[in-house]
Amino acid sequence: MAKTNRPIIRVYNSETDEVIDREMNDTEFAQYEADQAARAAAQAKAEAKAQAKAELLQRLGITEDEARLLLA
Amino acid sequence: MAKQTFTTGQVLTAAQMTSLQQTAMGGGSTTAKTASYVLVAADAGTTVAMNAAGSTTITVNTGLFSAGDTVFIQNWGAGTCTITAGTATVSTHGSLALSQYEGGQLYFTSSSAAIFFDISQSTGMTNPMTTTGDTIYSSSGSTPARLGIGTAGQVLTVNSGATAPEWTTPASGSMTLLSTTTLSGAATTVSSINQTYKDLLVTVSNAAWNTSDDAIAFYTNLTSVTSFVRLTNTAVQATNLNTNIGDFSDGVENYKRTGGNNFTSLLIQDYAATTRYKTFYAYSIYEGSTNNGRRACLFGGFASNTAINSVSFRISSGYTLTGGSMRIYGVN
Repeated sequence: MAKTNRPIIRVYNSETDEVIDREMNDTEFAQYEADQAARAAAQAKAEAKAQAKAELLQRLGITEDEARLLLA
Repeated sequence: MAKQTFTTGQVLTAAQMTSLQQTAMGGGSTTAKTASYVLVAADAGTTVAMNAAGSTTITVNTGLFSAGDTVFIQNWGAGTCTITAGTATVSTHGSLALSQYEGGQLYFTSSSAAIFFDISQSTGMTNPMTTTGDTIYSSSGSTPARLGIGTAGQVLTVNSGATAPEWTTPASGSMTLLSTTTLSGAATTVSSINQTYKDLLVTVSNAAWNTSDDAIAFYTNLTSVTSFVRLTNTAVQATNLNTNIGDFSDGVENYKRTGGNNFTSLLIQDYAATTRYKTFYAYSIYEGSTNNGRRACLFGGFASNTAINSVSFRISSGYTLTGGSMRIYGVN
């Protein structure tokens, strides 16, 4: 198989006691890329949420603790 | 016949020839003693027989015998007869104390040293075994005792009084270490997991990786995307692939990538089942990016009838693992 520079993973076969370090296959790499994208999207979403929260607090002129107090 | 010094032209009598023949055949004249006795030079080549009800001794002194001389000693009596080194040295592998009907040969290696070749009969162990599979153990007083074979599957243990071995049925329930794998690469997978256990316990200890602090993730059956299920912090279903990050952390701080101060356990119940879904729970204690003692817990189910035969561990963002280990246990 031609080298593709995909991430290397370790696979231990519990039945044969064999350890193989190899590049991800197509299925694994597809999943890996999907996970990367999902992870990045989730982080971006979390950052956007934090940014929106900070902007709202700034507009209201209160701190996060004061906002909690209002909602308590 | 006692040891003789023959001279040229001497004519031996029939009685002397008979006596010599007896001596040559290991017998010979016997001098019976009824009390403790000190060997004399004339005893060379003869048999000294002790016959006394009480304890007696036969003493061996120097200057009486030559190298190669022998004296056969017998104990006929009930009293113990002890061969005693007087001024001579007496060596033996056995015992110099002769019980009734025991004996041996005193062989002189010099005029001052002798070896006693003990031919006394020691009492052997009486075989207590009667049946195939029997074993022998030492009961009270080192008496050989029989332990009959147990039944199929029983194991040898010590009895409740800690006095003897016994065959018992092992307590049900056990955990077997199936594999230990050093973490490496963008993911570490243990495949072809033995399917004969009830539950599966996976532990990851001291994981470390490059690049950045991050969450961690477990996967099962990674070899096929159709059977792939990811553990998430919401419902876990085979149909939500790629739709939920659901990575394992406490939701506040990521795992610190260096130091390896983290420990995670994942228990999958009925992992080998092919006719029903499986459930799991996982917990983790770890060092966070800025705080120690972070705790994360995750539980859910696998909405799949496919048996789980491989488990993978990876860092959520796919960073390269640089240390730590994953152990797989089969639980019954």
